[in-house]
Amino acid sequence: MTTMTRRELLKASGAAGLVIGAPAVLSAQSKEPIPIGTLCPLTGAGGSYGPDMQRAVVAVVERINKAGGIHGRPIQLFHEDDQTNAEAGVRAARKLIDVNRVVAIVSTWASAVTLAVRPLCVEAKVFLIGVSGADTVTQGEHKGYVARTQPNTNLQGRMYAKFAVSKKEWKRVAYLALQTPYARSFGDAFTGILKTAGVTITDDLIYEDKKPSYRSEVTRILATNPDMIMLEGYTPDSVVMAKDIYKAGYKGAILAPSFAINAKFIEGVGAEVAEGIWNMDRAPLYDSPAYKEFSAAVPRTDQSPYAPQAWDQMSIVALALAAGRGEVSGTVIKDQLRAVANPPGTVVYSYAEGAKLLGEGKKVNYEGASGSCDFDAIGDILSAPFSVQQVRRGKSELVQIINP
Amino acid sequence: MPPIAQYVFNGVVTGGILALPAVAFSLLWRLLRFPNFAVSTYLTVGAYVALMLNQGARAPIELAWLGALAVTGAVALAVDRIAFRPMRSRRPFSLAIASIGVAFVLENLVRFVWGNDFRSFDVPVTRATSIAGIRVGRDQLLILGVAVAMMALAQAFLLRTRLGIAMRATADNPLLAAVKGVPTERVIAVATLGGGALAGGAGVFLGLDASIDPLMGGGLIISVFAAAILGGVGSAPGALAGALIVGIVEEVGTLVVPPTYKTAIGFTIILAVLLVRPTGLAGARA
Amino acid sequence: MIAYLTAIATLVGVRALLTLGLNVQWGLAGLVNLGAVAFFAVGAYTSALLTVGGTPLIFAWPAGIGLAAAAAAGLAMVALRLREDYLAIVTLGFGEVLRLFLLNEAWLTRGANGVTAIPRPLHAHFAARYDVFYLVLVLAAVAFVYAALERVRRSPFGRVLRAIREDETVAAVAGKPVFRFKVQAFALGAAVAGLAGILFAHYLAYIEPNMFLPQESLFVWLALILGGSGNNRGALLGSAVLLGLLEGSRFAKDVIPFLTGVRLAAAQQMLVGVVLVVLMIRRPEGLLPEKPGSD
Repeated sequence: MTTMTRRELLKASGAAGLVIGAPAVLSAQSKEPIPIGTLCPLTGAGGSYGPDMQRAVVAVVERINKAGGIHGRPIQLFHEDDQTNAEAGVRAARKLIDVNRVVAIVSTWASAVTLAVRPLCVEAKVFLIGVSGADTVTQGEHKGYVARTQPNTNLQGRMYAKFAVSKKEWKRVAYLALQTPYARSFGDAFTGILKTAGVTITDDLIYEDKKPSYRSEVTRILATNPDMIMLEGYTPDSVVMAKDIYKAGYKGAILAPSFAINAKFIEGVGAEVAEGIWNMDRAPLYDSPAYKEFSAAVPRTDQSPYAPQAWDQMSIVALALAAGRGEVSGTVIKDQLRAVANPPGTVVYSYAEGAKLLGEGKKVNYEGASGSCDFDAIGDILSAPFSVQQVRRGKSELVQIINP
Repeated sequence: MPPIAQYVFNGVVTGGILALPAVAFSLLWRLLRFPNFAVSTYLTVGAYVALMLNQGARAPIELAWLGALAVTGAVALAVDRIAFRPMRSRRPFSLAIASIGVAFVLENLVRFVWGNDFRSFDVPVTRATSIAGIRVGRDQLLILGVAVAMMALAQAFLLRTRLGIAMRATADNPLLAAVKGVPTERVIAVATLGGGALAGGAGVFLGLDASIDPLMGGGLIISVFAAAILGGVGSAPGALAGALIVGIVEEVGTLVVPPTYKTAIGFTIILAVLLVRPTGLAGARA
Repeated sequence: MIAYLTAIATLVGVRALLTLGLNVQWGLAGLVNLGAVAFFAVGAYTSALLTVGGTPLIFAWPAGIGLAAAAAAGLAMVALRLREDYLAIVTLGFGEVLRLFLLNEAWLTRGANGVTAIPRPLHAHFAARYDVFYLVLVLAAVAFVYAALERVRRSPFGRVLRAIREDETVAAVAGKPVFRFKVQAFALGAAVAGLAGILFAHYLAYIEPNMFLPQESLFVWLALILGGSGNNRGALLGSAVLLGLLEGSRFAKDVIPFLTGVRLAAAQQMLVGVVLVVLMIRRPEGLLPEKPGSD
């Protein structure tokens, strides 16, 4: 509501006291801390994931600071909760940028938040890196200040489709998605491939958030007799939708993203309704040394792929700053990102390894906990494997890995 | 395309749930001479009371429902004593604004305690069965049955009991009724208690049929208003008919208009009725 | 602290404008509008979408105001013949339907994602102290509108409206085209609300449908009734007091530690509801009651 907006905005502007005048580009000579912001969903639809992501970033920074910081300067983190809400995210970003003077904002989650915050970052030359998947996050005019470690929705749609097509018994598929910035692009990629493979798309419906009942939507979808429903939503609406689908008597399959079908979902709908629901998400690189270090360092409440990505994001941002000539700014991150994350270069699995080599004047190529973290020209990662899970007896179990 | 009958059935269930607060709203409007916006929030209160009993005290849903009836009735009575009684002689508009304030307080009280998340009762989720091509949920039939029974009880009360007759008399002509010795405040108290209980019970049904959240009742205010106006303010059978029609039109309307515009349908009904036949189906003066 | 106060003052100014607009409809013409937020939103969205699409501000702003007035006129033609409490629900419904429209017609309004990167007027010139510039802009708008509305109040148009408010039948008998006057008053109030919306959108540089909930209309009502319904000074006072109340209750969270996030918002909104009820019971004429027969 607007009055909350205003109040929070006011709080945000004034909260940290007067920080007027400190430019975002800090002098190379000072030992002043380097301000970096995290903007995670600590509450709201993504609230299960934010805390782990934030912890991952904190863990990386602790290591970096203990080893002496970047160019001898410690990183100072500023944490904000975006409440999985674009408006709250904008207010929080305003505070991070205007008051805390951060040079980067890491680990955003919801596409709507990232999209709303993006113009602020680009205008202020603050680097933005998160896990949001909507194609539009990296499209358009962002001058290189945006990147993400999650595959874009087009890639996601293709991976889900690859799995769906492999299930020959799913001949009639309905697409049911929550209204988000990525619903349409994901849907088009997904249904497009299915159609080419001969699967009938029986319905394509985008539904509104925060409804207590989806009976009308469910009635319409079920009337088209699908074998499988691709349900692309967040946890709260998926809980209501899954129950309505069950109550209406549907006995077919459901495929959904793992970020919706988490422990909270299963608790919300009950084991019986959740039984058999397929869910997919990007798979972390379980074998990589980076993943092992991450696992040991970050206590986790959720097995989602986002915390490993947050770990990587912070490590890459730090490496990019280290590769600069002592100047610390969002622009330096932008300029050095691909130099430290993409080949060519010696493969490194952590900031410590990379910083050492950079100090010797060598090129590095960071490979992370979430994947090889190679970025293309607009900030997307090149490819990623996906894990397929199914809910069995109240728990989501890993069934297979799909490679691109 | 599912048969229209499916939408009609869904509409009948929704209409049945809507009828309870619509009757309360309509009668109270006639009696107290102002539209009481807090009535739809009584739904929310009822649902959360039942939630507290069902999840917190592990009561079976039937008992929780009874608890909701009692507590919501009491809340409505308290609201009347505190907010509306001091304003009995004021213009309807002031009372309406006050009732909006009350609705606001109740909704946020619930939000303060339970937050914004959607919740459900601790009841097993059951699948619908197909009867003559229509998906019919066991819960839906139960809700419909109980709602009808409550309506019948309310109607019997109004027609057969002394207090019920006194209520209708006061609604028709308060001065005359007072002169004839009808205890006005007692009548108002009973009406308020009963209306609150009806709405609270409806809230439990809504929570069973859909989900529970602080906005559940408030979201229905336009539909409740539409049902009452359509039926003719002050007529209980009118409100019932109005609610069924609104429910069915809203459901069938989703064939033509996206489901998100349901409130718009109710709004259009209100406008249409007010412009064409403001006295509604029952034809009584509001 | 200064940045904080500047921001509060800017938002109080925007709210004051909105309240002034409502006062034209209610205070001057006696029309109940529980959907004030709708015209606020129309102004905000029109200007935001046009400027994001490249239209210069100088065309977009009048367009926003004009569309708000036109929408109001349209609604008025249909609804103004209704009795007071009916008009209340119709305008409330209108506000809600508009919000649903904003949410659903994403092809036009960007739906749930909202409109981002709304250009800020003269940003390049004042980049360093932009917040101060904007505050001055908003205060100037408030001053201008206040003066203009006071002129309207004293004008023949204003007097006819007050006559209609007091007793419509007498005014009609005196030969005044009552309905036409009411529609004009309604549209004028909406135009002011639209201007408030425009200033709001360009200040935040981001708008989305959930900023325009029906309860916002309620807050405006509260500001008006609190300040003294029917007069412009009251509108200004009420806005300042209301926002002061809401802001002040925020600091309660420093004293009562468990009050954060949703709890804080709920507590503040409960306070608003309580104040509204108490006001209606104890002092419906507000803090600055309109003096009868004042001119």
